[in-house]
Amino acid sequence: MSRRAGSLLARAWPKSLIGRIASILFLALVAAHALTLLWLLGGRAELGRSIMFDYIGPDVASAIATLDRLPPSERVDWLPRLARPNYRYRLAEPPTAAIDSSALGRKIVESLSQAIGPSRVVAVQMAGERYAPNARVVHLRLADGSPVALELWPVDVGISMATAGVVLAQFALFATAAWYCVKLATRPLTLLAEAADALDPDRPAAALAESGPIEVSRAARAFNAMQQRISVHLAERAHILAAVSHDLQTPITRMRLRADLLDDGELRAKLLGDLAQMQALVEEGIAYARSAHAGLEEPRRVDLQALLDGLVCDYVDAGGAVTLLATTMPALTTRPQSLRRLTQNLIDNAIKFAGAAEVTVVETSEGIEIVVRDRGPGIPEEQHRAVLQPFHRLEDSRNRTSGGTGLGLAIADQLARALGGKLNLAEREGGGLEVSLLLPRA
Amino acid sequence: MDATDHILVVDDDADIRSLLTEYLHRQGLRVSVAADARQMRAVLAAGRIDLIVLDLMLPGEDGLSLCRDLRSRDVDPIPVLMLTARNEESDRILGLEMGADDYLTKPFAARELLARIRAILRRARMLPPNLRAKESADGLAFGDWRLDTKARHLLDAQGTMVALTGAEYRLLRVLLDHPQRVLSRDQLLELTQGREGDVFDRSIDLLISRLRQRLHDEARESRYIKTVRNEGYVLSADVRPIELAR
Repeated sequence: MSRRAGSLLARAWPKSLIGRIASILFLALVAAHALTLLWLLGGRAELGRSIMFDYIGPDVASAIATLDRLPPSERVDWLPRLARPNYRYRLAEPPTAAIDSSALGRKIVESLSQAIGPSRVVAVQMAGERYAPNARVVHLRLADGSPVALELWPVDVGISMATAGVVLAQFALFATAAWYCVKLATRPLTLLAEAADALDPDRPAAALAESGPIEVSRAARAFNAMQQRISVHLAERAHILAAVSHDLQTPITRMRLRADLLDDGELRAKLLGDLAQMQALVEEGIAYARSAHAGLEEPRRVDLQALLDGLVCDYVDAGGAVTLLATTMPALTTRPQSLRRLTQNLIDNAIKFAGAAEVTVVETSEGIEIVVRDRGPGIPEEQHRAVLQPFHRLEDSRNRTSGGTGLGLAIADQLARALGGKLNLAEREGGGLEVSLLLPRA
Repeated sequence: MDATDHILVVDDDADIRSLLTEYLHRQGLRVSVAADARQMRAVLAAGRIDLIVLDLMLPGEDGLSLCRDLRSRDVDPIPVLMLTARNEESDRILGLEMGADDYLTKPFAARELLARIRAILRRARMLPPNLRAKESADGLAFGDWRLDTKARHLLDAQGTMVALTGAEYRLLRVLLDHPQRVLSRDQLLELTQGREGDVFDRSIDLLISRLRQRLHDEARESRYIKTVRNEGYVLSADVRPIELAR
């Protein structure tokens, strides 16, 4: 097989399991059926031939006898009357070449010799261009020695329209049956894939039906058990993080109050700084645990302008260098708590690494984009994906001294997904980081 | 301010109780403490309390149901400042059914607590009892707007949520609680932030301009918050308590 034909076959080869099994089944059924059909047709042709040989001898003998008795001038007029569906007579010259010595040729000669005597049979010849295709010409001699040619051609045992219709109907039946069987067999696989796709740790998962054939119900049971384990695992992880973070809040509150009661201003300031760092960690731990459940927040119609402006104002009030560039923004349907927390995280991140942040909103064809930009050191492009992982830290001394918890962007990413949006990191033109949140237009 | 204001601190953590007592005491307030609902009721029965600092998470009966209980029973309800921790439970409650006058998230700065206590006490004293929103109401309607007083945000005529920062909410709430009354900058500062202003303090003006922006209100032809020259600001709309469908 040539390479080209090979690649063509590879391309025609269906991609789906259903397609593959169905086509194998269908092709095998068609091939088996075609074989049977051919065998039957061959047998029918053989039968036709043997019947022909039984009657062709006497028939030719009576035709020759008729021609023998006719005066030569009237013979031509009688020829049409002597013709049969698969042979006819001509008054012709004896042959010159291409004697047929095949089994069929010999059989014809033998059969005719028996009927009219060997001396009257001259030769069998493959018919030439002037005759029907596959026809044979048997040269005979009349009693007066004048030549007569018997032109024989195979009876067309072709397939009638009705037969063709029946065969096509059968093929259609094969195809339907093959398709249906395979669909039946692969349906559980499709369901399994759909269930795996829909697996969302935030939501109570719908269990697969554990019914059906043995293999199917076993797979469904295994899948359900796995799903159960995953959600228990995730819940446990979030729970531990939340519990530890939560339990730290009481001692931090105590320490915060103790520090407030101190008279030593310098010591108090230092303690408050440390406590603020601890508190930031605790809050991020809780926020991360909570971001896993952000999908449970009820979406509602929100004035984006008010939300972002209020957020930025809070930073400005606290002395943060945050500017909101966009002034007109659309209202959109979203989860406001999650969106606020997410944007806060992005701004916190910018302030931490660059000391200042710019917030803007861009409406694109894909949706509404909230962009937070800074002029900090940025994040190398190969790290853009990794920094979205929880507790990932850049191997950079700046980061360690800045007291990052390694959760800020992970929380933002999780919240972005809960909002049906997408978080994208990019290098800012002229240096710095540009984080954009693409939200679907509501 | 009244030096004999009596504050009741309800928290199950003994250290926090004693630390708050010490701090508030230093600030010239009288302080009683309670570790749970039973002790709280005993203190309330024993004498007059001006404000309760109530921890949301208490063993047994929690702060939320205590707060509701206080509200439903008292003819002249005692103001409540709720202390919450940052967790999912308190978030849910904050968004839905917080009936307290204000809340503060742990850990907090002691000074912030004092400022909030003072602001609440001032508000409570300034507000005639008949103007206080009924317990069943969870919103205030004025003009085209509705203020959700539990979730603490605005809803416009179409029901779109307009978020408010804590300071914006407090200022708007004070204005809505005193409709058609001119409030000076000093009064607004005291009522919202519990502190005395000085001549150079422009923070109220800044907040007013932000609120106007939220309400799509023009300073020159304002519908809601009008500037009264040399005096202060006045909310010039009719305000009525409503129940928001949830």
